[in-house]
Amino acid sequence: MRSSIWLLALFAAPLLAGAETLRINGSTTVNLPVAEAAEILRAEQKLDIQVDTQGGSAGGISMLGDGLVQIGMASKHVSDDDRAKYPAVRFHKIQIGEDAVALIVSRDVWEGGVKAVTRQQMKDIYEGRITNWEALGGKPQRIAFFNKEPGRGTWEVFVHWLYGNAKAAPQVNFPEVGGNEETRNKVASTRGALSQLSASWADGQKVFALGLKLDAGTVIEPTNANIATRKYPLSRPLFLLTRGEPEGIAKIFVDFILGERGQELVRKHGYLRLKDLK
Amino acid sequence: MRKLTDVGVAIVAGCCALISVGLLVGLVAVIAARGAPALSWSFFTGQIRLVGAAGGIFWNLVGTLILLVTACAACTPLAVGIALLERVWLTGERRRSWLRTALYAMNGLPSVLFGLFGFILFVQWLGWGKSWLAGGLVLALSMLPTVTLALIERLRAIPARYVEAAAAAGLNRAQIVWAVLLPQARGGLITGTLLGLARAAGETAPIMFTATIFAGATFPTAIRDSPVLSLPYHIFILAQDSFDPAVGTRLWGAALVLLGLVFSLSLLALPGRLKQHEEAHG
Amino acid sequence: MTRALSWFLSLLALGALGLMLGIFTWQSGPVWQAEGIGYLTGGRWFFRQHQFGALPMIYGSVVVSLVALFLAAPIGLGAAVFTAEYLPPRARMPVKTLIELLAGIPSVVYGLLGILLLRDWVYERFARFDPLSGDTLLTAGVLLAVMILPTIVTLGDDALRAVPAAQRRAARALGLLRAESILHVVLPQARRGLGAALLLATGRALGETVAVFLVVGRQDNNLPSPWYSLRPLLESGQMLTTKLGGAETHIAWSDPVHWAAIVGLGLILLALTGALALFGAAFGRRSDA
Repeated sequence: MRSSIWLLALFAAPLLAGAETLRINGSTTVNLPVAEAAEILRAEQKLDIQVDTQGGSAGGISMLGDGLVQIGMASKHVSDDDRAKYPAVRFHKIQIGEDAVALIVSRDVWEGGVKAVTRQQMKDIYEGRITNWEALGGKPQRIAFFNKEPGRGTWEVFVHWLYGNAKAAPQVNFPEVGGNEETRNKVASTRGALSQLSASWADGQKVFALGLKLDAGTVIEPTNANIATRKYPLSRPLFLLTRGEPEGIAKIFVDFILGERGQELVRKHGYLRLKDLK
Repeated sequence: MRKLTDVGVAIVAGCCALISVGLLVGLVAVIAARGAPALSWSFFTGQIRLVGAAGGIFWNLVGTLILLVTACAACTPLAVGIALLERVWLTGERRRSWLRTALYAMNGLPSVLFGLFGFILFVQWLGWGKSWLAGGLVLALSMLPTVTLALIERLRAIPARYVEAAAAAGLNRAQIVWAVLLPQARGGLITGTLLGLARAAGETAPIMFTATIFAGATFPTAIRDSPVLSLPYHIFILAQDSFDPAVGTRLWGAALVLLGLVFSLSLLALPGRLKQHEEAHG
Repeated sequence: MTRALSWFLSLLALGALGLMLGIFTWQSGPVWQAEGIGYLTGGRWFFRQHQFGALPMIYGSVVVSLVALFLAAPIGLGAAVFTAEYLPPRARMPVKTLIELLAGIPSVVYGLLGILLLRDWVYERFARFDPLSGDTLLTAGVLLAVMILPTIVTLGDDALRAVPAAQRRAARALGLLRAESILHVVLPQARRGLGAALLLATGRALGETVAVFLVVGRQDNNLPSPWYSLRPLLESGQMLTTKLGGAETHIAWSDPVHWAAIVGLGLILLALTGALALFGAAFGRRSDA
């Protein structure tokens, strides 16, 4: 008797929560505040929200386009190619915050004296012309560059800065890293390591964020001030994408994220809120 | 000199055994040591919070359970059907051999291929999206050779005189199947299924394309777009993508629980296998 | 009725298998058209430029499996000799059970252990060769060796036990010491079964996805030059399975040629592992003298 009540409860719980399920997928960067917001809404309003991070920003866009999710998370803009792949879909962008991509290095590189890099130097590293930190003024150590997986918003922002758009980027052969945690762990545990990572993850203890040296010689660090004023060129918006205007449970979610509490979550995870942007 | 070789071989073999067993037991010990602190009542009954940094794995266990039950339900009839075909209905050793060959080949296929197949068939073509049923069916396929081959072995071991006696009593083949073969082979079916489930419980690749997501799913209410959480996928994602050091112990706790599940299933199969062993060599 | 049911269920199951083969072959068509044999022999995989050469991944899979076999086979076979020939009968069951249990450790758990323990160890041990990081083909190979070890022990033990006890008794009667009877009587007779065990273990190694995904580095186009160089072992690499389990599979669906290339990798994997399983089975069965 008791077990059947239990079973009934298991069945009933999702039914009571309301017929609609909100499915969200995409960038691991945007996932942090979104996942927590989902938890809060699940607990407080008994909404049925499913969040996943398959394929990063590109996965979010493609699953939204394929109709598998109602909200896609992306830390990059929807490109013309994406729109061409899904001509029937009207991608609606809702910015929820801002983040920056930092070029992070391991402790030994930072303490060896390399604290900033120019765009040309980064290009040379990416294309394999520079392979040792000596060339940048550091101690002699092989540059261990970990490239972000294709499709990751972080990667697209990076090549956008180097080449103008993702298509112009040359194909290169470097070991790949996926999400933010994997990137940070691998950079922290490898000598001479360099990779692209969301600026909020560069904690200055395990990994260190390089400044960008402009042609004039000034160094721009990825501080909140520089990101807010867009002085730091590798900043990127954090988006929730929907097909047309959000409705129903998706609208509830979007409103929450754009509201006071949701924006506080954005700030909590190290990103800039909409009102912080200048 | 000969004596030296004798002792030498014994020592080398003994060392190899020691290394093998010691290595593997050591690995289990590492998992236990790191994961034990995370185990608590709330770990088993709570749900994931803060992307794995807090909360528990309740819905992951439920999801894995759903997948395993589905796989079992789908696999059993198929395995019985094939085993009976091989033992009872097929005439000619060549055809039987052919069937067994297909099973051996299938047994060697990596589970990621079944996952890819399931993705194409269920997720995309049938439009199910991520579905617990797709995951269960894919797992059933990957379990099938294990269970079928175990069942065939068991059927083979049934003493011929049982069948002869039944035939002498006037039963036709179908009746013999139901009256003699299936009841006798029940133990072998259970054993084979448990072994198959033990393997399926730990699989990540087949379900990550077809059935599972990281957070938010509870009890599925339909077939389409009804993913579940699962233990192996949870561990896989957190191994790459956790954001909080607090995840660490919980991650090992989840690994320990998964290990416990797989070991329990294998151990449950043990009495059956011992009995079979005894009957064969006793 | 029962008969019809059995046939129906069997055809359903085997039909699924056939469907899988069919789908893989058909869906990979575009890439065979686009690249021809170059798909298998091409050394460059650049999906954005629609250049699909699977050789580096075939190389990665093969070399990692060979490393695993090279490391695990001697130890595994030695352990099998111990359990089959030296253990007293009452200890055999518990020890065998233990090893089989250990063979069931899920691969994702191995992956965790690999990240935690193995990566740094390989990185430090081989530091003088200046590897890029701890994620290398060698790391994957060592991890796989540990994974297939229990399989080799169990199957090897079965193969050795299949040699009739009468043979051992005859050897003793002739005055041979135990080691000599093992080396000169049992092992040669068990050759086929042991070979099968190794083939099946290799098949398992080739098909492993999740554990190696976490430690192999996932770097494309890592081919040795010259062809016999061992350098790629200390660099990050890519295997057939790790590519399938990676990000590209999730984004390739809408691009027919890219998707065909991914499915093609599955087809290659299917052919390799299927062949190994068949050889292993054929090999083993002929020893049922």
